[in-house]
Amino acid sequence: MSSSSKANKLMTLKDVVSRYVKDGSSITFGGFIGRDCLAAVHEIIRQGAKDLLVIDDSKTDVIDMLVGAGCVRRWEGAYAGYGSIGLGNNIRRAVEQCIPFPLEVEDWSNAAVSMRFLAGGLNLPFMATRSMLGSDMIKYNTRIKVIDDPYSGSPVALVPAARPDVAIIHAQRADQMGNAQIWGFTGNDENKARAAKHTIITCEEIISTEQVRNQGNLTLIPFYCVDAVVHVPYGCFPQSCYGYYAYDVLFCGEYHEISKTRKGFLGWLDRFVYGCQDHTEYCQQVGWDRLKSMVQLEKQFNRI
Amino acid sequence: MNGSREFIKGKNYTASELMAITTCKEFKDWEVAFVGIGIPLVAGILAKRLHAPNLSIVYESGSIGPEKFRVDFNVGDSSAADSALCLTSEWHVFGDLQCGYYDIGVLGGAQIDRYGNLNTTAIFGEGDYYKPRVRLPGSGGGNDIGSSVGRVVIMMRLEKHRFVKKVDFITTPGFLDGSSGARNRVGLLGGGPEAVVTSKGVFRFHPETREMYLHTIYPGVEVEEIRQSVGWDLIVAGDLKVITDPSYAELLALRSADPANLILGGAESRKELSGFKQFVNLTLKHSTK
Repeated sequence: MSSSSKANKLMTLKDVVSRYVKDGSSITFGGFIGRDCLAAVHEIIRQGAKDLLVIDDSKTDVIDMLVGAGCVRRWEGAYAGYGSIGLGNNIRRAVEQCIPFPLEVEDWSNAAVSMRFLAGGLNLPFMATRSMLGSDMIKYNTRIKVIDDPYSGSPVALVPAARPDVAIIHAQRADQMGNAQIWGFTGNDENKARAAKHTIITCEEIISTEQVRNQGNLTLIPFYCVDAVVHVPYGCFPQSCYGYYAYDVLFCGEYHEISKTRKGFLGWLDRFVYGCQDHTEYCQQVGWDRLKSMVQLEKQFNRI
Repeated sequence: MNGSREFIKGKNYTASELMAITTCKEFKDWEVAFVGIGIPLVAGILAKRLHAPNLSIVYESGSIGPEKFRVDFNVGDSSAADSALCLTSEWHVFGDLQCGYYDIGVLGGAQIDRYGNLNTTAIFGEGDYYKPRVRLPGSGGGNDIGSSVGRVVIMMRLEKHRFVKKVDFITTPGFLDGSSGARNRVGLLGGGPEAVVTSKGVFRFHPETREMYLHTIYPGVEVEEIRQSVGWDLIVAGDLKVITDPSYAELLALRSADPANLILGGAESRKELSGFKQFVNLTLKHSTK
């Protein structure tokens, strides 16, 4: 990498996805059903990636859309549903009816996935957890190894490090070097960024490195973990982005309702993904007044 | 657990509301609670507004002790971080859970057996794990909470296909086979299930046999009705208690905790709103900030 490309990692979403997300890539996404990088997911669907392996803790829109759009071969994760609204319709269709493709599932708990990324971020082969003991996850997922702790003799579960090819993480702010500052809770993002071979930051705002230095405590992900930075305002919508905009529960409710049928879901994709050239067009399709309304709501509670 | 708007016959409240109010009494002031999304969370918010103002709720996304100005629809909504005491990472809160800092967890489920083993992974039907009749979301943090938290309260609608002899998949262990020391033998740290709050009554677990028994019944419900909805020979407490109807104050506090009725009322309430502007207005109007 030349020194200029180290100093300025700004790229477009189109370029970043075509460079880093290949057919068969393993991938993880930042956020925790909140601060999810929906804009990047839409672009992955537009570019038609296939056979992805998604390794993640808990996801709603991200995994449901990618599976429905036929991008995913395998899910290694803890939760693939639709929050308080219901079950993930595309997840169900894929697992129960192989529509549009069969989906391989490997079940873990959230703490287990957290430990997998911690191991990846520490460059260790595995971590131990006291979760999943006595459960049927151990019966069906042979990569969970229950051993007797060599020091005390009590049972403990080992989980292998996760080292995905790509992590895409949405931050509130980043500089062009890739120092990413995150407000609110941080999920497993610090470890996902370190564990992945390539890390992409999408963000609400680009700030100067001087501004980063003023509040270094907020930098969750330092520049050396980061390959590319993309400026994508409203990049999480309809999910929330702490300090910027609130979760749009009605938009998600409509998605859930329409995605109950395959035809309805495909129509939704045509309107909000294939029918939009980029994220700005998506925002137009959603409606700027709607986005502003979610901004207004969030600012009543959290301001950065 | 998803909500429903239907009033219980002859009452001015729904089963979801009664479940939330009943569950909220399981939280004690100054406790730290690890709560799942949906009605369990509404019960936690209600406890904070009624008898447990110093209850701290923890979210697996990494939020510890937020103020509950507004309801959350996902554990990672920005609302889950409103004025929190500590905003941190997911693996840290799971570590704290494993260290024993968290007193109570509240979970939902799709199937449960007499020893409180829970399934949120898949309903096999005629198929199996790989080709189930219904694929559910999976553990999420449910297994972690059930494994390590001090005590677990479970919320489930009482229906025969949910209260089964044997769950298709143990996502979150209760007392496993019910034998003495079963949890300890497999290495689990937490205390296991304490109560199951259902749409007809409350079950608790016998301290010696660890078997679920009917402890409390809701007004107007017959014991026989409950027996019919359980897939095994149910034990009923000798001194079976009847819950009193919720007070006006409790119902009022509950309804303002979920002002658009989107969690307690489910999809039907969502369709009744005129649009996002009404949702924003309702949220702001009922915000406690």
